[in-house]
Amino acid sequence: MKPLKELAFEILDAFKSRNQKRLRKLNDEILKEVTLDFSNTKYELAVFSYVLSKIVSKPRFLSRERVPSIRKIEDDIRDMAHVIGEVEEQIILDKFRKIEESISHLEQFDARFVRDLMSKGRLKAAATMYAQGISLGLASELTKIPKQDILDYAGRTMMFDRLKEEMPVKQRLKAARRILGGSE
Amino acid sequence: MKTKDILCDSGAFISLTTSCLDHILYFLAEKFKVRFIIPPNVEYETVTRPLQAGLKQHSFSAIKIKEAIKDGIITKVDIGAEYLMQRVMRSANSMFYVKGRPLQLIQSGEAEMIALAKELGVRDILIDERTTRLLIEAPISVRDHLADEFGINVMLDKKALLEFSALTQGMTAIRSSELVMMAYENGFFDHFDELKNEALEAALYKIKFSGCSLRFDEIDEYLRMVKWKPKRQ
Repeated sequence: MKPLKELAFEILDAFKSRNQKRLRKLNDEILKEVTLDFSNTKYELAVFSYVLSKIVSKPRFLSRERVPSIRKIEDDIRDMAHVIGEVEEQIILDKFRKIEESISHLEQFDARFVRDLMSKGRLKAAATMYAQGISLGLASELTKIPKQDILDYAGRTMMFDRLKEEMPVKQRLKAARRILGGSE
Repeated sequence: MKTKDILCDSGAFISLTTSCLDHILYFLAEKFKVRFIIPPNVEYETVTRPLQAGLKQHSFSAIKIKEAIKDGIITKVDIGAEYLMQRVMRSANSMFYVKGRPLQLIQSGEAEMIALAKELGVRDILIDERTTRLLIEAPISVRDHLADEFGINVMLDKKALLEFSALTQGMTAIRSSELVMMAYENGFFDHFDELKNEALEAALYKIKFSGCSLRFDEIDEYLRMVKWKPKRQ
């Protein structure tokens, strides 16, 4: 995986050029690394790359009136990118919180969903980690997203259909009959 | 009739309550003298946390599970199987290696459930969560899935696999979808009269959409088994 600083600047560049595809690709790349070797900093980078990709895909966030808010987000990302990988984790996480505040401010002008962009980004990351192979409990613990939310999200995806089941349904029912009734 | 114990994970209760199918627990408990048992962590995740943290969207499910605990349908068991839990965690989380590092797959809640089953001698577990269930049933398929997802070589530590397999030997996992099927076979949907097959199909889809690790083709297979062909739109 590339160094975190390089990734952070790539995210900034992709956001400044309003390159949604690049941001989504970065999100995929970082998220895989998060699942294989979790750290809070990597996780935040993954979440923000997704959230920023959503922002650049919505014209309502990019209108002329929103330019100051967008500039503020860019400045905050730059602040974070300058120190990432060089200072202790808590300082970087504080920088991420500043970006989060700026994104919330942008969203406030035209809130449309109960779940805000940041929560959506975190939920998406948690559900993807579960889909990629770690357990539901671990995905929930690492991301601090309740299991209920991850299950709700996972249930609306094809993640279970992409996995081969070793035990046929007939055998499962046989087991269920044995468990409950004592006969098969 | 002798009481049978089934150890349950939180995912199954979440799927059943969010699908409004939690009465299946009451139905099966009464009909087959089943005791649905849970470790303390499951109560925390499904009841205490949503209610205490004010997770409004999950509070109704939490209240229903709390009620089932109060009614004796769900029983909390805390016997402190810390040593076994650590062994389960250690073996599961060192079973696969990626780029020379062990891959962490499960956390304490899932390990606690397996440890408790082992400690109590309960061989049947109700689990909607996919990874832990597959580790018990077919660990190699987890490795294959990880290799597919990440496009990398995933190394297997045979010693850890053998230890984990020894800890889970004899355990049978069922999902909430199997409970739905058992409820159907025993008359739970009969009051829907001529709509009872449609009700079964709807219930299976609902449980899948609520997060039960169930495939669409498995739903079709269930329906074929009851000799019912749904009308496709």
